[in-house]
Amino acid sequence: MKNCKNIENNLPLYAEGLLSDAEKKMVKEHLTECADCSKALANLQKVTAMTQRLPEVEPPPWFKQKIMARVRKQTEKKNFAQKWFYPLRIKIPVQVMATIVIAVLAVYIYRSGDDQMKAVLPEAQQPVMEAQQEPSPAEMPKAKKAAPALLAEGKTAVIGEVKKDQMSAEVSSGESAPKMEIQEAPQKHAARQESMKDRSAEDYSLSGAAKKSKLFKAAAPAASGQMAASVTDQVQPVISIYVADVNSAVVEAEKILTKHNARKVTKKLVAGKAILQAELPAKQLKNLLSQLLGIGRVEEKNMPADGGDQDIKVIIEIKTIQ
Amino acid sequence: MLWMSNIVDSKNATTEDDDLQYVVLCRKGDVEAFEILVERHQKKMLNIAYRMLGDYDEACDVVQDAFLAAYKSLNKFKAESKFSTWLYRIVVNYTKNRLKQRKNLARHESASLDESADGQVSCAACLSVASTGNPAELLEQSEREAHVQRCITTLDVEYREVLVMRDIQGFSYEEIRDVLRIPDGTVKSRLSRARVALKDCLVKVIGDL
Repeated sequence: MKNCKNIENNLPLYAEGLLSDAEKKMVKEHLTECADCSKALANLQKVTAMTQRLPEVEPPPWFKQKIMARVRKQTEKKNFAQKWFYPLRIKIPVQVMATIVIAVLAVYIYRSGDDQMKAVLPEAQQPVMEAQQEPSPAEMPKAKKAAPALLAEGKTAVIGEVKKDQMSAEVSSGESAPKMEIQEAPQKHAARQESMKDRSAEDYSLSGAAKKSKLFKAAAPAASGQMAASVTDQVQPVISIYVADVNSAVVEAEKILTKHNARKVTKKLVAGKAILQAELPAKQLKNLLSQLLGIGRVEEKNMPADGGDQDIKVIIEIKTIQ
Repeated sequence: MLWMSNIVDSKNATTEDDDLQYVVLCRKGDVEAFEILVERHQKKMLNIAYRMLGDYDEACDVVQDAFLAAYKSLNKFKAESKFSTWLYRIVVNYTKNRLKQRKNLARHESASLDESADGQVSCAACLSVASTGNPAELLEQSEREAHVQRCITTLDVEYREVLVMRDIQGFSYEEIRDVLRIPDGTVKSRLSRARVALKDCLVKVIGDL
């Protein structure tokens, strides 16, 4: 039976004469003995004949026209595409232009993105970098003018309730912002303090109130972004106190200032005299003056005519009696 | 110009290919030249598709798609074989794709025989009916042909394609090998099995042949 199956698979090839001689002989011998396989061969030949006699179908009359209509439609599409994209005389310039446009766009986007990145970056990072830069000669006058404000933050005593964060609220914007100063490296901070000392010493060693007032007049507009808006632009009053013991006088003066709601009180010792600088309401100025009389002999300069609600910056010089 | 050199290189293989001149014209944009190629091959392509699918209308759709695909890819024809071989390969592939879609849609699961009968009715008007013979003989012959077609459509696709090409369309083994891109031995073994399977199917359906 197994042999019959193998023979049957070879029958189509046998019928077509495609078997080798040995296979052909084997099939032939089997067919003489096996009636089933002989019948299978007969059926196979009949089926093949039937298959070969199957009639051919004709294409419908519209067939060619329909195919050609679709082909022509396709050609129109192709021509349109070719017209715009295929010819090299257009294709190459289009490619070059596209490349240029993309390059320009990329540069533009990169640059605009850079600005945005700067804006997005935390404020602290940018001032640190700027603080590390040495001021250019052109910026030096500005730095000088801003000296009093910087003096207030960078230097010495912060008295009583006057705290750094308060100062930062008052002296807020610009490159001399306290926040940036806080984040400066300690050595940088120290170096800056030194330079500030030198600058302030230079400024305050100028003799005569006129010079000082001139200096502060100039400082006012330039440092307007750095100074508190509530501080008046008028000429700063200077109170000179002549005492026997400067150190104890300074302590007392500070107490008095604190009592009069003075803010941003700074102290500096320069060549045998102490300079206190503070901001306080103008209306408190007269009371302050009267209380300072208890410390020693007082001379005042540039005192405002009337007190108001505005804050005023006062410089108190405490000197030893000659 | 690559295709031109290909044509020259394979000149020996395609010396008797009358289609090439029209292919060249088509590539130059002569759409009418393609019409000649359609005219030449539409019938054979339709018959291949029809015998494989068993549905006349579907076969018409497939052949249209195949011609359009051939037109679009004329530049890909390398003239390594005859144009007709390339064209028949396209239609066979499109037909096989259609059969796959059918299978996926499960439209013809168990009702394939019925649909084959419908297809037969659909194409009846297009059959080349012999003018001789009495109506009873014609009816009997028509029934037998319907049975054969039904059994062909039950065969596996790989058997169906070789059977259709060899026994119905009369392709040579070499042509089948080129169209289907399978070895000679595979063509013969597939054809052998296809014939045996068809015989078994018809014996079941008709009885004594």
